[in-house]
Amino acid sequence: MDGMTTMTEQNTMTHGVTAGLFENTERKRLRLADETIALEVQDLNLYYGEAQALKRISMKVAAKRVTAFIGPSGCGKSTLLRCFNRMNDLVDACRIEGKILLEGEDIYDRKVDVAELRRRVGMVFQKPNPFPKSIYENVAYGLRLQGVRDRKVLDEVVERSLRGAALWDEVKDRLHQNAFGLSGGQQQRLVIARSIAIEPEVILLDEPASALDPISTAKIEELIYELKEDYTILIVTHNMQQAARVSDYTAYMYLGEMIEYGDTMTLFTNPRKKATEDYITGRYG
Amino acid sequence: MTDASITAPGKDSRPSATLLPSGEKRARLRKWRYFKDGVSRYGVGAGGIGVVFALGLIFVYLFYEVFPLLVPADVSVETRYTVPGDREADTLFLTLERYQELGVRFSSQGVATFFQADDGHIRRQIALPIPEGVAITSFAHGEARQRLVAYGLSDGRAIVGRHAYDLSYPDDVRYITPKVEFPLGEAPVVVDPQGSAIIQIAIQEGPQGFVLAALTEDNRLLMSRVRSTTNLFTGAVDIRRDAFQLPSPPGNTRQILVSGDHRSLFVADDLGQLHYYDISTPTQARRVDSGQVVPEGHQITAMDFLVGTLSIIVGGSDGSVSQWFLVRDDRNQHHLTRVREFQSHAAPITVITPELARKGFYVGDASGVLGIHYATSHRTLLKRQVTDGPIRDIGLSPVNQAMLVRDDADNMLLLDLRNPHPQVSWQALWSRVWYEGRSQPEFIWQSSGATDDFEPKFSLIPVTLGTLKAAFFAMLFATPLAIMGAIYTAYFMQRHLRTVVKPTVEIMEALPTVILGFLAGLWLAPFIESHLPAVFSILILMPLAMLVAGFAWTRMPMSVRQYVPLGMEILILVPVILLVGWLSIAASPLMEVLFFGGSMRQWLTEVGITYDQRNALVVGIAMGFAVIPTIFSIAEDAVFNVPKHLTQGSLALGATPWQTVVGVVLPTASPGIFAAVMMGFGRAVGETMIVLMATGNSPVINFNIFEGMRTLSANIAVELTETAVGSTHYRILFFSALVLLILTFVVNTAAEIIRQRLRQRYSNL
Repeated sequence: MDGMTTMTEQNTMTHGVTAGLFENTERKRLRLADETIALEVQDLNLYYGEAQALKRISMKVAAKRVTAFIGPSGCGKSTLLRCFNRMNDLVDACRIEGKILLEGEDIYDRKVDVAELRRRVGMVFQKPNPFPKSIYENVAYGLRLQGVRDRKVLDEVVERSLRGAALWDEVKDRLHQNAFGLSGGQQQRLVIARSIAIEPEVILLDEPASALDPISTAKIEELIYELKEDYTILIVTHNMQQAARVSDYTAYMYLGEMIEYGDTMTLFTNPRKKATEDYITGRYG
Repeated sequence: MTDASITAPGKDSRPSATLLPSGEKRARLRKWRYFKDGVSRYGVGAGGIGVVFALGLIFVYLFYEVFPLLVPADVSVETRYTVPGDREADTLFLTLERYQELGVRFSSQGVATFFQADDGHIRRQIALPIPEGVAITSFAHGEARQRLVAYGLSDGRAIVGRHAYDLSYPDDVRYITPKVEFPLGEAPVVVDPQGSAIIQIAIQEGPQGFVLAALTEDNRLLMSRVRSTTNLFTGAVDIRRDAFQLPSPPGNTRQILVSGDHRSLFVADDLGQLHYYDISTPTQARRVDSGQVVPEGHQITAMDFLVGTLSIIVGGSDGSVSQWFLVRDDRNQHHLTRVREFQSHAAPITVITPELARKGFYVGDASGVLGIHYATSHRTLLKRQVTDGPIRDIGLSPVNQAMLVRDDADNMLLLDLRNPHPQVSWQALWSRVWYEGRSQPEFIWQSSGATDDFEPKFSLIPVTLGTLKAAFFAMLFATPLAIMGAIYTAYFMQRHLRTVVKPTVEIMEALPTVILGFLAGLWLAPFIESHLPAVFSILILMPLAMLVAGFAWTRMPMSVRQYVPLGMEILILVPVILLVGWLSIAASPLMEVLFFGGSMRQWLTEVGITYDQRNALVVGIAMGFAVIPTIFSIAEDAVFNVPKHLTQGSLALGATPWQTVVGVVLPTASPGIFAAVMMGFGRAVGETMIVLMATGNSPVINFNIFEGMRTLSANIAVELTETAVGSTHYRILFFSALVLLILTFVVNTAAEIIRQRLRQRYSNL
């Protein structure tokens, strides 16, 4: 009995923090109808063998906004995210029905060059994954793939990308040291720098801060805020405060279905569905 | 106890709720657990130390077998007495018999005195049948192992004797009865029909009979070939003698030597010059070459053949000791050549005595210093003062364990001699050595020959290079296949297929190499020999066909491609491989007719490429098969263990799978792949059965893929069973085993260090 009480208290606190988030920030209510649409998902079904992991997902993603996907573990939010750059292709026995349009073109069309798609839709993973190379070479890697050999161009892009990822000042004196020497938060920003170096249109962030300490998390969140000036950002997170803090739009998913999707403020303060409310207030389960 | 204090509060706070056993019971259990923990810790520790200890023991054992090679030669004086027999007469020759029990002294009066070697007690004295009124004017001995002596007489005749020993075992104790035999009869042999005194004489017995060379008082150089046949029925000795006169030598002759093969004759003069006569055709015998063998102004003070009568050791009045033999030049002319210069003595050389079965020799000088030298290994094993006056004679036992030394004051010393392994030196094993009869210094492994006077050639270079050659061609075949296979299996192949393919390849490792060697030697080698064009067309066509097939596959319409599941595309290569293989083999005879005049093997020989049936190509393929599983298994693990988030990170940056392999997977897995290659190399270096059965085992030095080789391991396998335990050859084989062990140990250690660094480098991933 004692244990139950404590849990409820904690959840109320969480809700309180979530609600309180918007008190200090001036946030406009956004309407999807006003936005430029970067990505459109149409009736997407995804199967792992016999099991259906995503059910009839349809949504539009606003350009140069941050769209967050929240939901309990196993709800399919990461799977959905990985559909946007076809990382699911790497999984054996994964089958996809429906369409995802990037600037009006179906990325699952047979004519699409997957490598080029992935250049346009970058991705940052949960665990920082710098390559076992120098910091410089990590950032230059994507450019080299695109055939850039000119040292001057590489230097310039590396610097710009590292500045873009707010890492330049910390690493400019040790560009040619192994990337593993960086802290976890720095590594994650390096990975972001690496992905923006090839000038993507969309950046997918799969729980980018879940393996980091609070200070690093704050830096990443700040960075996301800056990045949305130039890029359409999709983020999967377990941390609802984070979703509330960084995103403009939020989608709540449960068991492979998209329960509710709308602008973040509305979804957190005035959800239309009871399941959403239960989840964001912690009564989920 | 601390146990109690820990469990006590728990008991107090929740006495009823706990379902755990009582504190006492748990404490007992804990002790038991600690005990098991300790036992297992020490058990595992002991096991680990045991493994290291066993490896150490292998090293220790090999060192133990090799160590005697490093022990220096030594002599010690056993007894000392005055020269037995007639002290008025000069001692001309001293030697010991095989059991080192008796010594013999030939005197200038023609008396052979047999005496007990340890105390000088005279056992028997035999006077040679010198005719009345004739004086002894010269003396010579043949190769020590022939036990021949010759006295030149003042009437132009010579008497030839052989000291011999009869063994009997009265009361089961060995008793040696010495005697002197006369192989050319007791009557003196006529050397100079003109009857002038023989002032220098030389004798040698060879396969074609005896040869006697003599210089008469009036400076005529004569040579007699004498062949004696004993009538089986009557016992009568029939002697056939051919006499020749040679051109007279210039200068005053000090000594004559004649070789056992009746081909060469050497005359030393008193100006330090040595003259070589070619006597192979005695009627046209002539002086071919002369050389100053000691510095001008010095004299040749001692000179003798090494066993085999090919090399001459010359000692000079300046103390120099050098080895000379005939070296054939480009125009097929023989020249006297100084091959080695040994550590010189401080005083003039007085006597040189060669060993009876090895290429060593013993030198005495005028200051009483005894020197032990060895020709092949170019070593001076010992130099020691054994007496005060000049050494006059050295008598050596046939088994090199004792020696007699006589000094100027007629003191006789019996020396105990320990000189078991003079043939080994760093130079003899690893440098070019100028072997007798060769035109230049060479690397040769040839450990035994048909005759006793054979010079063993123990260069480890041919077998070491053979090892590396075999390993190189095996790696050339195995490395690309194994690494590419590993990359494909680990990175591209469908998971399900991989679980079948990987263990299958790994099981190949368990294939007994004797079967691979057997197949390679008896089936593959003749097959390749008769289908050479097929080998090369497969080498070229197979990769091309695979590329073409792969390209064609990517161009296939989706409707066709969908029938083959992702990751199973490899299967479409199977018919391609079979087809190319069959085509190449089927077209091989045709290609031979069209391009190589009917036989490519013949064609190769005609363009000057030696072709052995069992060659490096066969070994490369067969040993490649043995090495592939090793490399494949480790490299596959290395590639497969590249973290998935790295490959995904690369793919997410827009890299194609191939770019990901080249840009991320290979660099990350490279230390592991390198370690795999090193392990494979270690395996190839140590492999025995395949190379033993498929190389031909000829220790030649070359990197021709069509010729064979002999490897260290095969060399040990072939020769260790045929060598005498404890002999120099035996110990050198152990040394080569040590070399092999160190080689594989170094390679494997390097591989392991790299693997450890790899582990360290990626531990934070």
